[in-house]
Amino acid sequence: MVAVPDMDSLVNPQQRQFNPYTENGGTILAIAGADFTVIAGDTRQSEGYSIQTRYAPKVFRLTDKAVLAVNGFAADGNMFVKKVKQRLEWYRHAHAKDMPLRAIARLIQTMLYARRFFPFYVYNILGGIEDDGTGAVYSFDPVGSYERETCRAAGAAQSLVQPFLDNQIYFKNQLAAPGMSHPTHLPLPDVLSIVIDSFTSATERHIEVGDGLEMYVVLAKGRGLGGMEAIGGVQELSERTEGERLFVVRRELKKD
Amino acid sequence: MFLTRSEYDRGVNTFSPEGRLFQVEYAIEAIKLGSTTVGIRTPEGIVLAVEKRVQSPLLESSSIEKIMEIDRHLGCAMSGLTADARTMIDHARVTSQNHAFTYDEKIKVESVTQAVCDLALRFGESVHEEEAMMSRPFGVALLIAGIDENGPQLFHTDPSGTFTRYDAKAIGSGSEAAQSELQDKWHKQMSLREAQILTLRVLKQVMEEKLDHHNVQLAQVTPTKGFEILDDTQLKELVEAM
Amino acid sequence: MSIMEYNGGSVIAMVGKNCVAVASDLRLGNQALTVATNFEKVFPITDRIYLGMSGLATDVTTLRETFRYRVNMYTIKEERDIEPEAFAHLVSSTLYERRFGPFFIEPVIAGLSKTSSGAFRPYIAGADLIGCLNFAKDFVVAGTASEKMFGVAEGLWEPDLEPEDLFETISQTLLNSVDRDAYSGWGAIVHVITPEQVITRTLKARMD
Repeated sequence: MVAVPDMDSLVNPQQRQFNPYTENGGTILAIAGADFTVIAGDTRQSEGYSIQTRYAPKVFRLTDKAVLAVNGFAADGNMFVKKVKQRLEWYRHAHAKDMPLRAIARLIQTMLYARRFFPFYVYNILGGIEDDGTGAVYSFDPVGSYERETCRAAGAAQSLVQPFLDNQIYFKNQLAAPGMSHPTHLPLPDVLSIVIDSFTSATERHIEVGDGLEMYVVLAKGRGLGGMEAIGGVQELSERTEGERLFVVRRELKKD
Repeated sequence: MFLTRSEYDRGVNTFSPEGRLFQVEYAIEAIKLGSTTVGIRTPEGIVLAVEKRVQSPLLESSSIEKIMEIDRHLGCAMSGLTADARTMIDHARVTSQNHAFTYDEKIKVESVTQAVCDLALRFGESVHEEEAMMSRPFGVALLIAGIDENGPQLFHTDPSGTFTRYDAKAIGSGSEAAQSELQDKWHKQMSLREAQILTLRVLKQVMEEKLDHHNVQLAQVTPTKGFEILDDTQLKELVEAM
Repeated sequence: MSIMEYNGGSVIAMVGKNCVAVASDLRLGNQALTVATNFEKVFPITDRIYLGMSGLATDVTTLRETFRYRVNMYTIKEERDIEPEAFAHLVSSTLYERRFGPFFIEPVIAGLSKTSSGAFRPYIAGADLIGCLNFAKDFVVAGTASEKMFGVAEGLWEPDLEPEDLFETISQTLLNSVDRDAYSGWGAIVHVITPEQVITRTLKARMD
């Protein structure tokens, strides 16, 4: 049989569209302590109901005292991290010092807002140590609105994790014992177990979360390892031991 | 063909066979015609002082502006073609504001100085078949004073785009005498007040007119109050105390 | 706009050691506008069964009456109280009757069922709006804050909680979840069912 061209498609106008964005799932989370910060993310990358890979990092070392977690559209996220790292290098050459955390935070805002009308489709959480030695978390929306906080979850399971964090970190809906007050910052072992609990919970109830967990721990200058010893699978990433120290802890999450 | 020196005088971006850029050298010479300007760094802050040449009794001395603010933590004094300095300081201000906007922190003194010097070197630039932005080197030298995470600092820039850090520096017509006086009198643990008095004494030595609060201007950058130009009362008091 | 979010509201039930708990928030809204702050979504069915419903408020009210009627008929005919298992299936079939024009509610059922030995066994169940039952062993959630409650409950809940600890767990789960949900909140009501009694408490939290 001879193929007859579809007259309808020739006569009537056709509309096609290219969609430049995808949502790649996963969740990120950061919690600041008095003199440390934990920045974590799962490693599953998915598109729709398919898992593309079980190991795609979403958390990146920027300097020994700054770690950036990116979640949303993975291509944009990876490119954004690359560009931030490039700007950090330029800054080092121009000003002969590492960029302070709050300066990185502001830089990320300007970089995101520069793409106000074709945004990087990513939610960023920046964690690390401030110049005054305190732990800090900065969270961003895709166009650069940002805020310094004690803790923040973002991504697919944000709605599952954030209220849990409100309760466990900010002690929301909890009354302190008479004459006592809630601590503003938790010790490192407590924070690590809250992070692990958050991700095992999210893995249990959200299909886009799981496979692996990467927790970056940044310790302030001169702070001991207090609380790190108990955790298995720790790897040090910092080159020098006299300044801020950076560790990564890798754990398995359920793969179903 | 015999080339006279004057042929190399024309191009701002042509080296002479001896490896010199005459226009830049002449620009540096131009500074030596300018009024004397002094800067002193102390642990408490930096003092800048300039001589204001009041050529006519009808001239409003307050309209002579030779010390300018770059940012809250940065000040600048000049000698030479002061009109050129406006372009440079404008650039420094924009650079400083841009840095604060992008990084939410004060720019370092060395970084603004570098930015100004980058601009100072742009005279040779012209894109093919396009009008050059600058036709000649700047005819002015600057003393840039400021405080950042490395403490109080004083930088000197010249028309060649070179910059150097100093504990104390004098530029302008009386700079040679002034500089040797600074070398004698400057010491590490100088107080801000001592520095204020010293700048005035140095200026007094090299000035033709009798020094009073009309023909000098003094400014300082301190950790607490940042850049400030001393007002008439403060200046009068210092002149009397000197 | 989803009809399930028209009035807002959330309910949750949890299993404890020899006890169950069920709770709801108190908000009734008309989309973003809060209309009432005393709208309970949990109702007693028998002395040992409570039914929570989230979703379209008019259907919540209608179904409360429907179930009251049907449970009364059951009690009269059978001359005994309905057991949670039977009630769950009553809920399921009632909802499935309207398979193609459903009631816009999601129920949660919490109760204690009598075993052959005479002891009580905790029982909870949830369902979707057409009655597909979910017999969870730990907790069930429904409503506009359901995702949040899944997350918090998964983190806070543990097996064999005593009544007071179960009360604390369900209250914290509900309160912290509705605080992150614009459509739920304005306090909560919690029922803890034990073999001896039902403890009912009204909670005031962030009233916004």
